[in-house]
Amino acid sequence: MTQVNRLTGGQVDRSQVLNFTFNGKAMQGHPGDTLASALLANGQRLVGRSFKYHRPRGILTSGSEEPNALVQLRSGAHQEPNTRATVAELFDGLSATSQNHRGSLEHDLMAVTDLMSPFLSAGFYYKTFMWPKAFWEKLYEPAIRKSAGLGRLSMQDDPDSYDKGFLHCDLLVIGAGPAGLSAALAAGRSGARVILADEDFAPGGRLNAETLEVDGMSGADWAAAAIAELNAMDNVRLMTRTTVYGAYDHGIYGALERCTDHLPTSAGKPRQVLWRIYSKRAVLAAGSTERPIAFGNNDRPGIMLAGAVRTYVNRYGVTPGQQVAVFTNNDDGWRTAADLAAKGIAVTNIIDTRDAPAVCEVPGARHIRDAAVMDTVGRKGLKAVTLTSGQVIPTDCLAVSGGWNPNVHLTCHQRGRPTWREDINAFVPGGDLPPGMAVAGAANGSLTLAAALSEGRNVANAQIKELGFTPSRKPAPKAEDEPSNGMAIWHIPESTKRAWVDQQNDVTVKDIKQSYREGFRSVEHLKRYTTLGMATDQGKTANIPALAIMANCTGKSLQDTGTTIFRPPYTPIPMGALAGRARGQDFRPFRLTPSHDWASKNGATFVEVGNWLRAQWFARPGEQGWRDSVDREALMTRGSVGICDVTTLGKIDIQGKDAADFLNVVYANAFGKLPVGKVRYGLMLREDGICYDDGTTARMSENHFVMTTTTANAVLVFRRMEFVRQCLCPDMDVHLISTTDGWAQFAVAGPNARNLLRKVVDEAHDLSNEGFPFMACGEVTVCGGTPARLFRISFSGELAYEVAVPARYGNSMIEALMKAGEEYNAVPYGTEALGVMRIEKGHAAGNELNGQTTALNLGLNGMVSSKKDCIGKTLAARPEMNRDDAIRLVGFRPVDRSVKLIAGSHFITKGDDATMANDQGWMTSVAYSPSLGHSIGLGFIKRGHERKGEIVRAVSPIHETEMEVEIVSAHFIDPEGERLRA
Amino acid sequence: MLDFKLVSAPPLAGYDQSFEGVTLRAPADLAIVSLALPLGGEAAAEKSVKTAYGAALPGIGKSALSKDGSARLVRLSPDAAFVIFTHATPDAEPHVAKKIKGAAYTTDQTDVWTGLEIAGPRARTALERICPIDLHPDSFDVGDAARTTMEHLGTLIIRTDEDTFLLMSGSSSAKSFLHAVETSIQNTA
Repeated sequence: MTQVNRLTGGQVDRSQVLNFTFNGKAMQGHPGDTLASALLANGQRLVGRSFKYHRPRGILTSGSEEPNALVQLRSGAHQEPNTRATVAELFDGLSATSQNHRGSLEHDLMAVTDLMSPFLSAGFYYKTFMWPKAFWEKLYEPAIRKSAGLGRLSMQDDPDSYDKGFLHCDLLVIGAGPAGLSAALAAGRSGARVILADEDFAPGGRLNAETLEVDGMSGADWAAAAIAELNAMDNVRLMTRTTVYGAYDHGIYGALERCTDHLPTSAGKPRQVLWRIYSKRAVLAAGSTERPIAFGNNDRPGIMLAGAVRTYVNRYGVTPGQQVAVFTNNDDGWRTAADLAAKGIAVTNIIDTRDAPAVCEVPGARHIRDAAVMDTVGRKGLKAVTLTSGQVIPTDCLAVSGGWNPNVHLTCHQRGRPTWREDINAFVPGGDLPPGMAVAGAANGSLTLAAALSEGRNVANAQIKELGFTPSRKPAPKAEDEPSNGMAIWHIPESTKRAWVDQQNDVTVKDIKQSYREGFRSVEHLKRYTTLGMATDQGKTANIPALAIMANCTGKSLQDTGTTIFRPPYTPIPMGALAGRARGQDFRPFRLTPSHDWASKNGATFVEVGNWLRAQWFARPGEQGWRDSVDREALMTRGSVGICDVTTLGKIDIQGKDAADFLNVVYANAFGKLPVGKVRYGLMLREDGICYDDGTTARMSENHFVMTTTTANAVLVFRRMEFVRQCLCPDMDVHLISTTDGWAQFAVAGPNARNLLRKVVDEAHDLSNEGFPFMACGEVTVCGGTPARLFRISFSGELAYEVAVPARYGNSMIEALMKAGEEYNAVPYGTEALGVMRIEKGHAAGNELNGQTTALNLGLNGMVSSKKDCIGKTLAARPEMNRDDAIRLVGFRPVDRSVKLIAGSHFITKGDDATMANDQGWMTSVAYSPSLGHSIGLGFIKRGHERKGEIVRAVSPIHETEMEVEIVSAHFIDPEGERLRA
Repeated sequence: MLDFKLVSAPPLAGYDQSFEGVTLRAPADLAIVSLALPLGGEAAAEKSVKTAYGAALPGIGKSALSKDGSARLVRLSPDAAFVIFTHATPDAEPHVAKKIKGAAYTTDQTDVWTGLEIAGPRARTALERICPIDLHPDSFDVGDAARTTMEHLGTLIIRTDEDTFLLMSGSSSAKSFLHAVETSIQNTA
């Protein structure tokens, strides 16, 4: 197929041909084209169907503000919906399809909704689908959802990868149009570190789209020279295809770089990178966006913004039509007519709303002054326009200009409010800019080329001067101030047909007036009621005309009407880019225990505990399920000896002359008199008196303690202790450092624990019960001289030790322990057997230390020392927390021993109704005890310590279960503690 | 007694890879000992360190090489510093304690950390993808050190040469850390 609308000139490389398809139809374009310019070159005006009424739509703009030309790009899992054809760079093999139609694009069955439009005005859903209420979820919402939305997801995983990154600069210049290039040149020449980011693949902004001259050369040539100079500077980073989408605190900007979207494949590299840019100063040179004028049937394919029409002609060498008419309310629209005529394109009429003489001579064009378009003809492509005078003008392309709006969006990201400038009929940045930001060029309302160039330079120089750089003396590039007189016309009131304001959301002038009539008059209400300004374009072409129409209704000024709050992102950001690498296995880092390799090779099933992967159990051949493995591990440990990697418990090294006093502050119980070589169980309270964490602390020497915390709270406890050290006890000589990862620590538990360790711990160390009694600790050596720490502590209730070696020896150490334990049939055990044994022993863990329970609840109130102060002591003394009928931690066993207890069940006195008012407490932890042969549980119940032997009901409305349980001691195994002292 | 010698196996031991413009390796036998300066004994501790290493303890965020170049002193906070050196046996802490004559509290940190040295002309480009710190040569001098996070992992970064950085992160998450750095190198290749 030939490119019927391709002209000469422009910035496309005609020496190369790129083949692509649209709806399966083969077409051709060139490097330098966007999909939109290539479609126009091939005469394709109809590009999609509108959101609500399925109206045929074409291409309105030439930039990221495009509301209509949204396509599905690529195919299969790579398919991306709602891609703006105006910014999609053409590549060889590109395939695009149109969206939002049933049947073909040309014959959309859903176009029937357009006939029903009188019934589908703003607020239709809110008013219609209210009743019957039950229908909403099952009928209305699914039906609406089915017909809503534009593109379709592939429903497959995104096969592309994404990345994130961090950049730093003195000056960030946002936008590489005339103001941005001028700013970057000025700052770059001074030696400042500059990042210049532009959303386009070809920097230059409007310089590439206009025929204006800079420093005696064409704008595009000047831009190319400026870019060459910037590229040669080491201190300047030019980032094309990069949209700065948000202005955040402290000079931080978000930017999305599209790395491979212009290539047929990503070739394994990230498709896009989400950058966080730390800037000391920024210059916003985001340019401006042309706005349309609303008139009847102004949405037909072929009706375009005037600036876009000349962009296609000048930059891409493509004419959007063969018989063009211009409709304008300002001088700028005339430039389109002049540029097109200069290229030999027939410009038949210039329809100007102003009663003023011609702005310039346009050969062959008729100037119709004080006139307006009120209707158009041509369902799938413009054929003619009708003026308010009734005159009909045949045309296949109407170039419309309603004036230009500065792109103020980023100036508002920290609640800045734009101000209205009457002389240019547009909002400009208000005074309240994000700290460090200055605005230059069209974004600042300086809409002429000469003004943009000089303002870019001057603003950048002022910014870098504040940072201590000496601005270069080079003057701003020279250009003309082109005429730009405009008239405040937003819509043509004579139009009787629907006049579209927001083409992406199918919002008309009538909808805005209805919103006003129904009381939704604030701009924020208008947006929510009509959906104006939502979706991918965020109303970039629609907002200001809509606000002006609302202002007209209310009789308020535009300044008083204001804009809706602009928020990031400026243009759409794919969810994949926000996720970055955080997908699947890479969602978060993993922490591995030192014996992980050994455990992997020995049948371990792993469980995630925070970031840790811990062995949950070690299955052996023939075992039918996890219970078989766990029961065996617990029984073999209690029967002889078991080994468990407990490295994940937090370890904090505490040193200093005041270390013992410091522990007295953070722990509820006293540590001052703990002898060297001894370990003590410690309980921490929060400031409000609730239990925070528990663990053991060993005194290695007079001024040196080693604390353990629970796995879950390791980081929190360290952080809190550092706060106490620095802020509450700054006069104490105490120093903290985490050693959690530094030591591989193994619990060795069971009646043969000592026998096993005697084969591993070097003989010089006395392990006898007298020489190393319960709660002893010390530095030892193992396996012939490797330094180690030994603690005689027990979580299982058995004779038990924990032995720690430097982590590098961890995997070897478990091999040594297993080898030494062969004669005792030693068994590795995982977190499940660990849990079973601690429940059998009645030890509290996370389920009991749940952030709601007190020392009294846990039966540990005796540990809160009366002889010293500690964090939480005062508030723990509050009467409500010391009620006689407080819940107490006790054990439970089912009356019918064959029944399985259920954690989370609530306790109800026999004979009472199972209601909240009769709630006595709840079951926190349950396990099957292989030693006892039945299910056991721990739980809190009112006055539990006085109620042993009583039968209550354990009720779980969620599980719909109820059973009788007996209140017993929490210490199911060895209540006197003889084993651990053996 | 069991006849069994424990084998040292740090998580990234022996890792050494070259990519285009970047090398990445896990330095062998990297020993780390923390120093905590006693309250009121700071001057004495600093003096003792200077005597022991022939170099003054540097300011916060800086590191300095010992006179003989065998050890790097990194100042992390007013009262905390690391001594980083090459030492194969698990007695780095008593070694340093003896050297500074017990003038500061010492804790062995060798096994707490995993070290990765990234070097080459493309090192900064790769680090841009995970390191929030400004590593521009004018902003981050040779010898500068900073604590930060990379891919959720706490990291200490030290510029040890023109284009060489030592990264230190938790040893339990060493494999995730290596994966993060390798991915950054590959994504920017």
